[in-house]
Amino acid sequence: MTELIYGFVTGILFGFCLQKGRVLRYDKQLGALRLADFTIVKFMLSHVVVAMVGVYLLYDLGLVKLAVKPTVLGGVVIGGLIFGFGWGLAGYCPGTAVAAVGEGRLDAVWAVLGMLVGAGLYAEAYPVLKVTVLTWGDFGRITLPQALGVNHWPVIGAVVVLTLLFFRQLERFEAARPALTLHKHTDAE
Amino acid sequence: MTEGKGWNPYLAGALSGLVSIASVWAAGKYLGASTTFVRTAGMLEQLAGAERVARMEYFLREVPGFDWQWLLMAGIFAGAFVAAYTAGEFRWRTVPEMWRQRFGPSGWRRGVAAFCGGVVAMFGARLADG
Repeated sequence: MTELIYGFVTGILFGFCLQKGRVLRYDKQLGALRLADFTIVKFMLSHVVVAMVGVYLLYDLGLVKLAVKPTVLGGVVIGGLIFGFGWGLAGYCPGTAVAAVGEGRLDAVWAVLGMLVGAGLYAEAYPVLKVTVLTWGDFGRITLPQALGVNHWPVIGAVVVLTLLFFRQLERFEAARPALTLHKHTDAE
Repeated sequence: MTEGKGWNPYLAGALSGLVSIASVWAAGKYLGASTTFVRTAGMLEQLAGAERVARMEYFLREVPGFDWQWLLMAGIFAGAFVAAYTAGEFRWRTVPEMWRQRFGPSGWRRGVAAFCGGVVAMFGARLADG
């Protein structure tokens, strides 16, 4: 029961951030896929950098465990391509679809219903996929530091520095280009 | 009606990152979403026939039911609602602006695309285990 309460409270805080960051919106998601609006890129990379440093710090202190998923190239590459196609059509990923309903977006209700059907179809296909696609390029539970044979902090440091440099270039790019004309802002949005 | 600009995306992302850290620390849980769709689909299929679901390999792996992540999703819905409502931004809307300007105001057309996209996206997400 305590675990469920932790989940609910964590969700409220995260959903609040998603709405305040505007990342749950179709226009922002399509804007990211069209490389025209970088709100989601900024949000996601900021999250990754902060969480990466924090979690590894706690890990070094022996306070948390890592949960590394297996790297299966067949599943990740083919699944990623399929996911991208669906994401572009739906305009929401699973978490943001649920959050978008909370903002009153009825098209996200359709996306959520489709996702439930997609999950059911995957369960049907799983016995076949398990012995085919999901056996291709299975590297097990590896991390980048392990693969490189180094301590995790040099890798974390490099990711942080590269992300900050990327942010700087992104801000310069946005300041230099003409105002966004992907769609005219009207009172509807 | 004009809407506020919201928070700086770097700040909102960094704060959500702190939420992530707190979750791993306090509950030992990493944020995720798509497993909940599997468990919920399993629960809905159980309504049609519990025996068949009980025999399906994927539902043995991801057991249908309410768990930490299911409540996380419920919280995400609630948190987004609270953020939107308290800022006066909650409003029922059928068609996003960018879609409307390209494909018109039909809520059905948008609904079909969102539904089909959802089916495909979730299948790919599960295949990639994410």
